[in-house]
Amino acid sequence: MNLKLPTLSRRDFLAKSTLGAGLVLGAPSILRAKEAGAPADEIRVGFIGCGKQHEVLFNAMVNIPGIKYVAAADIMKARVGRTASAIKSRFGYMPTRYLNVEEMLEKEELDAVFVATPDFWHAPHTIMALEAGCDVYCEKMMSNTIEGARSMVAAMDRTGKLCQIGHQRRSNPRYRYTLEQLIQKENLCGQIVNINGQWNRALSSSQDIVSKPSILPDAETLRKAGFNTGADHELSLEELRHRFLNWRFYTDLSGGPISDLGAHQIDIFNWYLGAQPKSLMASGGRSFFKDREHFDNVMCIFDYDTPQGNVRAFYQVLTTTSSGGGYYESFMGTEGTIDISEREAYTKIFKESGADNAKWDKLTQRGLLKKQAAGKAAGGADAIASYESAPPDEYALPGGLSKAPHQPHIENFLDTIRGNATLTCDARHALESEAPIYWVNQAAESKETIVFTEEHLHT
Amino acid sequence: MASKDKCSNDLGLTLGMLTLRIWLGFRAIQTGIEKFAGSKANSSVVDIDGVPNSYGLTKDGADKFYSFSEYHGVPVPLYDKFASEPLIPTWGLNLYDCILGPALIILGFTVLLGIAQRISLFAMGLLYTSLTFGLILIKQDAGIAWLGVHIIMVVMALALAKHNRFAVMKKW
Repeated sequence: MNLKLPTLSRRDFLAKSTLGAGLVLGAPSILRAKEAGAPADEIRVGFIGCGKQHEVLFNAMVNIPGIKYVAAADIMKARVGRTASAIKSRFGYMPTRYLNVEEMLEKEELDAVFVATPDFWHAPHTIMALEAGCDVYCEKMMSNTIEGARSMVAAMDRTGKLCQIGHQRRSNPRYRYTLEQLIQKENLCGQIVNINGQWNRALSSSQDIVSKPSILPDAETLRKAGFNTGADHELSLEELRHRFLNWRFYTDLSGGPISDLGAHQIDIFNWYLGAQPKSLMASGGRSFFKDREHFDNVMCIFDYDTPQGNVRAFYQVLTTTSSGGGYYESFMGTEGTIDISEREAYTKIFKESGADNAKWDKLTQRGLLKKQAAGKAAGGADAIASYESAPPDEYALPGGLSKAPHQPHIENFLDTIRGNATLTCDARHALESEAPIYWVNQAAESKETIVFTEEHLHT
Repeated sequence: MASKDKCSNDLGLTLGMLTLRIWLGFRAIQTGIEKFAGSKANSSVVDIDGVPNSYGLTKDGADKFYSFSEYHGVPVPLYDKFASEPLIPTWGLNLYDCILGPALIILGFTVLLGIAQRISLFAMGLLYTSLTFGLILIKQDAGIAWLGVHIIMVVMALALAKHNRFAVMKKW
């Protein structure tokens, strides 16, 4: 396997350290070794956290060759068992199961770990794994606090290991193509003046998660795992289990909907503009879920200064309705608008009526765009000609992604471990993009505009 | 003149019967064969400027194929619905799932070739009636109406059976 550098695992270090540092570093037998017969580029993987998001990642990994699923850890026995069964049924072997992450990192020879635990565990688990000599793929949001996220960047720098953050759109061919070819090279949008993004989710998808009590961890385990963090009283078993299953609702355990859902899309604002915002206004409310600590609906506006001019970006996350077109990011320019989404169905491109027809026709002929439909005037007796703009023609991207949405990002991570690629979203770049998001809840609470400084946004 | 009219009528009815046999036969045969159909998804890289794009943007397609391993007498989504119906026992559903495809193919051929025409048509009518029963249970009214049209065609063929020609075995 063409690893960047041979590294010592934590287990080897502990086991061999008595031999003396010089001897240890000089002994090839203690460098990371593969099992006899394993393919040369096989990557030995461990899972930290075996919940829903882990399942999303695993399902996106199963078609990627060259992975050996060595171990999985979660404080909930049933979840680790489910992961082990999924691996056994798909690949015919069982990974080693752990209820304790430290134990897994200490005992196993792992090249890489995938962290899919609650947000408040991302930083500790990532740092632990990096320091154990593993490359890390950690789900977004990097942490529930900006300090936690900064500590992950520091750990990545300190250890020299890879740390990919799960903003999977950064590796998605559709997103990369749209940015590099349509926006940057062809200037399809003209001057981007506004951005609009949203994730609207129905009430039915925003309800409390419940589970059979008999398979949930006991109170002591949950306390030890920090699920009582920030509580102002001694929590009952029922309360602890609610926090365990619904950690996204608690301010000391997560960043709430703006972090859970908004982070992916606000990341795209910053990535596409190649800039961090200069200020932020926000409003949020516990409008329906009145008992939840986090806002159930948040709206915010970021202001950017870019080389092409000032840009305003509006973003809303609503957990009380699915109407309004699902989830997408819309880059609105003087020549055209690109609505892009992880879902192909929500992705559309519109040509302004005043845009250069010849240019768009040529792009279509070259295969850079697909024309879908000519713009249709709404018509009707209530249409007042002087109010109306000519309707835009509709176009589409020339192709889609024929893989699970997370697969290209995981492939990028594994290819980088093999020395064949560069991370598309390492921890530092992820934090540059995530930093403004950490301030949204605060801006909404205070109802004051935040003018960003280096102190707010530094990595 | 009367003799000429009679001849025309007989020819019309004979051709009408033949048309029904062809329609009902092919309908059943192809429906049975389709139960062995599967598809394999494929995707091809989209060309931009005449060459495959470097981003991996793809367009999806699917290759259809036929195989015994793909056989599903009762389509999976319908099977799951039927399985939860109290009036359909699991053993009965499994048996029906096994025989439906071959039964359609066999009856299709017997009707098409004119083998034991009346019995074959009656068996085909029973088969479509059994399908109708299942659709009534899961409230698929459009499917019930569609099968009703089939039953009418089977009855028309039975009514025209005495005008049957070009049959391999006219008995029964």
